[in-house]
Amino acid sequence: MENAKRFILFILLGVVLLTYAGCSRKDKPSDQITICFAFQDLETEYWVAAHKAITETLRARNIRVLERNAHQDANRQLEQIRDAIAQDVDGIIMIPQDGESAVTIIGEANQAGIPIGVFNRPPADRSKPALVVVADNERIAEEAVAYMAEAAQKLNRKMTPLILVGDLGDQNSIERKNGFYKAINAHPDLFKEPIEVPTKWDAVTTLANLEAALQVEPRVDFLFTSSDFLYPQVKAVLEPLGKWKPIGDPAHVILGGLDGDSAAYTLMKEGYVDATGVQDLFFEADAIMEALLDAIEKGQSTPEKWIQDPGFALTQENMAEREMDMWGYRILKAEAGS
Amino acid sequence: MKMYRILLRWPEKVVLSDHFVLVLTALYFLLIWAIYPHMAGHRNLANLLSNVWPLLALVIGQMFVLIVGGIDLSQTSIMAVTSVLGAMVMAMRFDPAKFQHNPLWGVIFSEQGGWLAGHSSAVPAAIFVMLAIGMGIGFLNGLAVAKLRMPPFMVTLVAMSFFSGLAIYLTRSENIMHLPASFIAIGKGAVGPIPSALLIVVSLAAVAFVILNRSVLGRWFYAVGQNIRTASVSGIPTDRVVILAYVFSGFCAGIGSILYSARLEAGRPTLGRNLLLDVIGAAVIGGISLFGGKGKVLWAVYGVLFFVVLDNSLNKMPIEFYSIDIIKGCVILMAALLDALRTRIAANQVIAVGAA
Repeated sequence: MENAKRFILFILLGVVLLTYAGCSRKDKPSDQITICFAFQDLETEYWVAAHKAITETLRARNIRVLERNAHQDANRQLEQIRDAIAQDVDGIIMIPQDGESAVTIIGEANQAGIPIGVFNRPPADRSKPALVVVADNERIAEEAVAYMAEAAQKLNRKMTPLILVGDLGDQNSIERKNGFYKAINAHPDLFKEPIEVPTKWDAVTTLANLEAALQVEPRVDFLFTSSDFLYPQVKAVLEPLGKWKPIGDPAHVILGGLDGDSAAYTLMKEGYVDATGVQDLFFEADAIMEALLDAIEKGQSTPEKWIQDPGFALTQENMAEREMDMWGYRILKAEAGS
Repeated sequence: MKMYRILLRWPEKVVLSDHFVLVLTALYFLLIWAIYPHMAGHRNLANLLSNVWPLLALVIGQMFVLIVGGIDLSQTSIMAVTSVLGAMVMAMRFDPAKFQHNPLWGVIFSEQGGWLAGHSSAVPAAIFVMLAIGMGIGFLNGLAVAKLRMPPFMVTLVAMSFFSGLAIYLTRSENIMHLPASFIAIGKGAVGPIPSALLIVVSLAAVAFVILNRSVLGRWFYAVGQNIRTASVSGIPTDRVVILAYVFSGFCAGIGSILYSARLEAGRPTLGRNLLLDVIGAAVIGGISLFGGKGKVLWAVYGVLFFVVLDNSLNKMPIEFYSIDIIKGCVILMAALLDALRTRIAANQVIAVGAA
């Protein structure tokens, strides 16, 4: 036992000495730029595509990328970015868990004098300088649902709307829900009270909750999913009920979503989906990288710029002209090309 | 020959030592430090330690419940609900655009702030509310386990679901910002050169140490965890002991909530959502038994240190994110295997001594 204690004391002494030595040692400076890309998770095709676009582009430019996945935990993201700051990274690109934690994390980067860019989820306020690229989720959702409402009006009956709500801890999800309600409330005579189905951004939860909701209210004929990645679950529930029908069929459920992924494009092409809100993923990714690299080059430690992704609603009406602007379509085309 | 025998028995002694996880952590730290020099940099060490304190508060609470043979899955939801309720007491202002449709708007909080916004007692009152509610939820958990004889896993799983849902309901998923600077200082500030969080959690650890090692109550905790029937026959008020363990766990979750809310500068309905695995993982890695009757404050400290150093080191590596999860899983598995090895060696030694 005495030997073990001596050994531990020896180890601890070693740690103290080496720590002291480590504190006085400095890393060799390198010309290579290092960027920390910290994201909250990759639960949808949108985030996967954004991750791919950002990491591949940066690496192609010989930039060292430190990827950090916070698994939807704001505190973990804060810890990861603090660790990146301790490594003296040249810049940070962050997909924050939410706007509030983004403000705190931007503050950490500002204090360390490291430029930071926020991708797709805006900080809750502009009190701390950052580069921000953001889509207007509320407006895009409202636009898509407004088109769906127009289609519903042609049916001359009172509709039973349902919304698949995302994770209520996610600001994008709340904004999409708000956009949905804005469009619905604009037609008080057309719609019954909307049914809200929580999904927690999880496919299994969505399947179970949507099945339960349709057992209680089988007359649902207007459905908006807060994210396109849930379409397979929508189909799995509607199909056995004879409600998975293309536009024009009397049993067709008016369908819409938001993101603009490849599944949504295919379903629109096949005539199952009426409209989908589209964020311009590639524009957003390019914009944040260019802004950050520009700030690094100019030696700016706390650059500030808000870049707006206007986004749009891709509908059955404008599909022919605008499908090229949908990132899901472009991914499909690229895959087909390769 | 003597030297040879000592050398031969030396690894066994280290493996069986109470400080085995610390040795493991130190060796791992040295290994990573050799590869990434900034591992031992001042800023990184400060980060590393600041990540230890709030997690340690939770693990200490979890340890009490594990010692009595239970488990508290509701700790993170206690954190969430106390985080938002504390913020509702002390926040300096609320954004009407986000909160005016909240059922508590105009009742508990308004645009001018929380219930006691601006009042000198706002922060102490909020802290009191957070701790009291944490203990209250712990009391309910303990009551269901001890008096209703419900399985701890089930009780705390339901509590987790209920209170995390309640936290979201109370805020309609909105985070509550504009917390007073004096509250934020608890998580980010320092008293002289010593971080406030360190002072709080070291005090908590000291209290936990005294309870477990210097009081009759501590012996009761272990006795209940080892064999509740024997403990009961021996005259130990087992129900009260179990309830107290859950109350203490709720109290520690309240402390964790204060520290995490302060460092994130917001009352968050999703606070600590993914932290449970870290809490239980750190406790088990430290050597605290999931089957009850075994656990020490020092082991909790070592388990948390191991977890935090592992996380921190993985953040240094220029590897793809999924590799991080794989590596983390492998390292935890290795630590768990080593723990199993220790248990086997210790059991063999007991058998050998018995045979002799």
